[in-house]
This record gives sequence, C-alpha cells and structure tokens, in this order.
Amino acid sequence: MTTLLWLQTGSCGGDTMSILCADSPSVEELVDEYGIQMLWQPSLSMEPTGRLETLIEAILAGQQTLDILCIEGSIITGPDGSGMYDPYRGRSKMSLVRELAEKAEYVVALGTCAAYGGVHSAPPNPTDCLGLQFDKKSPGGLLSVDWRSRKGLPVINISGCPAHPNAMTKTLAMLAMGLPVELDHINRPKVFFNTTVHQGCTRNEYHEYDVEDAAFGGKACMFFNLGCQGPVTMAICNTELWNGRSSKTRAGVPCFGCTSPDFPLDHDLFDTEKIGSIPVHLPMGVERANYMAYKSLAHEAAPERVLNKTMDP
Amino acid sequence: MSRRTIQIDLNRVEGDLDFQLELEDGKIVDARCIGSLYRGFEQILVDRNPKDALVITPRICGICGTAQLNAAVLALEQVGRIPVPPAAVRIRNLCLMAETVQSDLRQSFLFFTADFCHPKYRHKPLYEKARAAFLPFKGWAHCGALEYSRHIVEIIALFGGQWPHSSYMLPGGVTTPASQRHIIDSLSIVNKLTRGFEQMVLGGDLETWLALQSADDFFAWLTAKGSHADSAIGLFTQMSRDIGLHRVGFGTPHMLSYGAYDDPDAAGTFPPQHQRLFKAGFLNGDTGIIEAFEQAEITEHVRYSWFQPYAGGRHPFQGQTIPDYQPHSDRYTWCKAPRYQNKVVQTGPLADALINGEALICSLYQAEGGNAWLRQFARLHRTARLLLKMRETLHQLAAHPNAPHIINPPEKDIPDGEGFGLVTAARGALGHWVQITDGVISRYQVVTPTAWNASPKDSEGRHGHWESSLLGLAVDDPEDLVEIGHIIRSHDPCLVCTVHVLDTGKRTTLWL
Repeated sequence: MTTLLWLQTGSCGGDTMSILCADSPSVEELVDEYGIQMLWQPSLSMEPTGRLETLIEAILAGQQTLDILCIEGSIITGPDGSGMYDPYRGRSKMSLVRELAEKAEYVVALGTCAAYGGVHSAPPNPTDCLGLQFDKKSPGGLLSVDWRSRKGLPVINISGCPAHPNAMTKTLAMLAMGLPVELDHINRPKVFFNTTVHQGCTRNEYHEYDVEDAAFGGKACMFFNLGCQGPVTMAICNTELWNGRSSKTRAGVPCFGCTSPDFPLDHDLFDTEKIGSIPVHLPMGVERANYMAYKSLAHEAAPERVLNKTMDP
Repeated sequence: MSRRTIQIDLNRVEGDLDFQLELEDGKIVDARCIGSLYRGFEQILVDRNPKDALVITPRICGICGTAQLNAAVLALEQVGRIPVPPAAVRIRNLCLMAETVQSDLRQSFLFFTADFCHPKYRHKPLYEKARAAFLPFKGWAHCGALEYSRHIVEIIALFGGQWPHSSYMLPGGVTTPASQRHIIDSLSIVNKLTRGFEQMVLGGDLETWLALQSADDFFAWLTAKGSHADSAIGLFTQMSRDIGLHRVGFGTPHMLSYGAYDDPDAAGTFPPQHQRLFKAGFLNGDTGIIEAFEQAEITEHVRYSWFQPYAGGRHPFQGQTIPDYQPHSDRYTWCKAPRYQNKVVQTGPLADALINGEALICSLYQAEGGNAWLRQFARLHRTARLLLKMRETLHQLAAHPNAPHIINPPEKDIPDGEGFGLVTAARGALGHWVQITDGVISRYQVVTPTAWNASPKDSEGRHGHWESSLLGLAVDDPEDLVEIGHIIRSHDPCLVCTVHVLDTGKRTTLWL
C-alpha cells in the first residue's frame, strides 16, 4: 500500500482534470492495481473536509505515514509574504505544504505551477507565486535548493500546463512499484522529458524541407513564424498522444513551451522572435550558421508536394 | 435562543470554497460565501498582446477552459469585426458541447452523488443500491463517469490537440479542419457515449427520454420499468426526493442565460444580431416573464469583496480589479457581486433550460420551483440533449466537405477597441470584456458563472444566490452538514475563478 495525499494550492484544477483523462495507467488502475491509497484527493474523496484536517494532524504528528505528497498549483506567498491569498482554515497553504513536505517519502509537483510558478507567476506576478523548489528558472522556491524528501530526492517536477495525464500516472506507478526515478537538470523525470515536442510532430516533413506557414489554419510547420516552441521544448506530447488522440502541434496549435520553467514567455505567444528570417531560439544545441546553411539547402531540395503544402499533417 | 457561527469548507467542488453560517435555534439565519483564493488573472493580462488571452484565459479553469477560450476569441473577433466561417462555428460548438458533457458527468457522479453514500442515510430503503452505484472508485456510476468523461474529451483533442488547455480557436476560425477521419472518429465517440448514457444514466433509450414533456411524463417513466428506477438518474432522483432535496435550495428566482452555441447559419454576424441555437434571456422572477438579454445591464459590486472600493456597481468595461485584502473588516471574499438589472440572479443549466423553454424542465419548475434536485436534474437532462446535438453537428460538418475552417483576418494584429465574448459554460453565463489600447490589452474583466452564483452581498446588502439558497434551512446536526453539501454541490461550484481568504476574527469558528 502506498499512501498519497493531494493538495491544491494556487490552481485551476487542470492537473486533476488532466489525470482523470489518463488511460495508461488510469487513476482507477493506480488504486486497484498499484496499491495507491488516496488518503485525500480534493475532487474524488467522499469524506467531508474534516477528514483532511484529521489526516493532516495525524501526518504531522507522525501517526500516519505519507508516501507521496502531490501538490497541484503555484505556491502563493502574497500578500506581503503571508501566503494568505491562498489560505487553509485560517493559515496559509504555503506553510502547510512546507510542513507536510518534511513528512513525505516523495514530494511530486504536478504541473508547471507547482514545479516552477507557472501562469500565475507571469508579470506582474500579482500574488507573488513560486514553485516548490524553483522560482521560474532559478533553483530554490518554497523549499531550498538542497532540500530532499525522506527518500533523498528533490521535488519531482512533472511539469506541463496541465501536466500530461499519463506522465503523472506513470510516475506515480513507478513510485508505487519502487522503481528508480532519474531526474533531469530541472528535476523532471527523464523518462518523460528526454524528447522534444518536435519529435513525432506530424508537420515534421515541412520542417525538414523548410516549408513554414505564415498564417494559422495551415498544414505546414509553425516554428519560424507562428510561435511554435516544439523544437526547444522537452515533453512527450507527440510520442504519447493527448487523450490518446493528438497533440497541439498536430492540430495546428503552436507549442507554447508549457513544460518549461519560463512558461508563459513574456514575448507574444503566437509569434516567433527572429533575427532576420531565423528564429532567435534554435533547436537545442544547433549552431546558427550551420542551421542557416542547412535550411537554405533543405528548401532547395523540397519536393513539390511539400512546397505546395498538399500533405496532411 | 442559541446563536453560533460555523465555518465549513467543501471538497468535491472545483477550487476552494468556504462558507460562514450563522445558526439560530437550528436554522441558518445568515450566510457568507467565501471565495478564498486570489490568482490575479485580470492583472496578468494587462499589457500583453491581445491574442495572448487565448493562451492565458483557458488556464483560469481546468474544467471549462474551452468555454474560456471561446469567450476570449469572441471578444477579440468583436473588436476586430472578424467574421468566422460556418464550419468553424460548428467545430467550436462541437468542442464546447463535449466539454460540457464531460463536466456534467463528472459533476454529477464524481462530485454530487457521492454524498448519498453518507452513513446518515444507511436506513434509507435505497441506501445499498445508492452505494453500489455512487461509491468512489467502486460504484458503477462513479466508474462509468470516470470512463465516459475521459472518452468524450477525445473529440476536443481531435480538433484542438489536447484537453484540458488548448488554444485552437483563433480570430477567424479554428486551426484544423473537420476531415472525414475526424468526423467518423468523433461520431464513434458520441455513439459509444450515447449507448453508455442510455445503459448507465437512463436505463432506457435516449429518444424516449427526450420525448418526456411534463412532470407527469417523467414520474410515469420513472416507475414504468425497473431499469428506469435503478438507473443512475432514477437512483439520484429517488434518493434526492426521499431526503427532500426537491423542497430546499431555491435561492433567487431571477435567472440569466447568455444562450449557447452560435448558429452556424448566422456565422459572420456580431452581437446583438447574432443568433444562438439555445436562446439567451433573463427570466424575471418577479413577473415570470422572459425578457430579452442586454449585456449593458451587467454590473459588478465590490462592497463586500477584497477589492479597492468604489460606489455601487460598475459595468465590466468600467470595471477595476485592484486587490485590497482587508481580513479584519466586514469584507469577506475575493468574488465580486455581479448583478443584472441591479438584481441578484442565478445562472446554470436550470436557468438555461427555462429560458430556452425546454418543456420537461419548465413543467417540473412550475410544479415544484427551482429546487436543489431540479437544478442537478437539469444538468443531466442537458447531457441527453447535447449527445443528440453533437451527432447533428457532426452530420452537418460531413455534409459540407472542404468548407473553410478559418478566414485569417487581413491584419495580423487585433486593432484597438473594445469587445466582449459571452458564452454558456458548463456552469452557466461566462463573459470576457476586453479593451485594447496601443496594441496591447489595457483592461480585461472576466465574470464567471460562479461569480454570479457565489456572489457575496452587494452594495445594497442583498445576499448572493448561494447564500440565499441556504437562508432559513433547518440544520439537524451542526456537526454534520451533509444537507448543506447537497444544496451547495447542486449549484456545481467552481471557485478556481476567484480567490479567497478567511476572516475568523473574534467569532467562534468551528471547522467541520
């Protein structure tokens, strides 16, 4: 049995709604097959909220074990450092999360808000939001850089706005099975953050031959003009499809880089920042001069069916 | 006379919801509904490119992001007078309907019916059947709702890439056309869900259900077959009525609906000319007359909210949202108090059905009024209607192959000006009001369905809808307020749209 407590902080509830869409494994499977006992989940628990209070007291007193603490939402520290823009029964959720984290074997940030601050920390960051162990890109959030959970891990960041349904349930299944969870440089499980959104995008042939759309609703690549961050964003959106069906880029919506610590960018979200005709942010690790040379050659080699945009994404 | 103050917070709602109730001799004599979380979306949007609202505002709400997206894009299209082709209207409608069906299934069987498993009801004749249906992760209706709600949003993923939180409605249309593959995939999803809904929720066929025209028809249907009585809607109805939910939770008699789903045959028009498939209107509870809806009649008050004060009410185009957290004052919430014609109103599927003139709901309303059971019932009845409407929409898309799905406006940027986008989200009337100055957003005001329903008192001291739905209610056991849970959850609370804090002050506060 693996006990799990789920708290919502400054949140839209989207990660809860997202995990309800998971199918491999589903939330029901986590309970039935992986032995996860949901001590508390705000949308699913039957008991009245008094039960949560009892649980929290028992956990803090060391009478109830807490294997996994899931946090959904930004850590709100305003106004004036009080955290009272997001209260729980007369105290701040911020302080409650800090105390519970000390008792948990693992702490998991579900979504970019809990991991890095997210949409609520966009300028002017009206409520002074942070992530659990990061403040946007900067290490150190509510918890310090050196903080470790009882099992010796930093906060596990399953970023995304919302987090990918199956990335959440698979991570929880791995923890319940006692499998090792290897993290990347910003503490995301590598197994879900070691591929780009670009990888598996059905518009790739257009990108390959430098055929770029300049207006929405088309079939070609959106990287050069329409703000798509697929080649610079790590996520499984195009290798494990959303809702078992598709992804934003397949459906003609640019990737907004929602798994990245600086989501949402300050720059216009439907427009690509460029130097001359080439994006400022190139695919990871690519040299600008080489990229320009490759692109002009690629365009020369493009077949008519791609140049004429007759291929469906 | 004994008087005490109790404070309750509720789970199985979207977001954080607290109530402070004054009990006198076992009756609720005052109620303060407290939206306690503040996130500051309206401030985040200022100074951004107008189109960024299409990425930012869906994140207001995890359960109705498609409706937020639609409100945002309609507001931008109104500013730029940007027309939308009929196929795009149909695709938008289809996705909005899918999101509402998702929300209604989850609200009904994950959030609402779980309360019937409360041990307080163990002596009720249907208790064991209710537990077999509604117990979380075990009951067949709970498990069914998890599965079916997961499937229906696949339609949104086909057209928008993912659910929740995509941005596929752009000024002028949608980002991807309705290919024949998408249409058949979507039909297949609707077919499966329809069969599931018939088997699980109705215990009978959809056509028979949709032919029910009156209260008498419905009660006859309920007893006509064992499968009807033992269905999810049958058990929910019998348990609700055994407990007496058809006699409580009325709230304000004034009802507001913005109308739902733009008419694709009127594509390219703007308010007030444009038409909707389900009618907009205001049901005046004093006269019983349905009046034409006029958005200029909307105002918001902040007398009891933690925002910098102003006198009376302001239309959203003059609205201001400057946080002013004053926990030790008589202000008590991060919700503003919206009013229509300066009246307290309610919004949601009950209001929508009455204003749209749906016979079964109108008949039940005339018989027993707008009670907690009927409010929840209207939500499930809507699912039945939407399943049919989704199929119709898909057939219309199939009948117009290669119709354009977007007309990109000639100007890339949205011009300066102001506009609003009003839609019906799962919980009712949702509005965005935007003003653009020098190419960036200079003001953005959002009035959510829950802002209407969860409204605090206004500058004239009148209670909001939820608050008034609790006044006068007798409470058996102040230590165990399951009856309040039923009433509040029948309103489908979604508090993520606001923000909140609690002032316990010097009151005796009892957390339950």
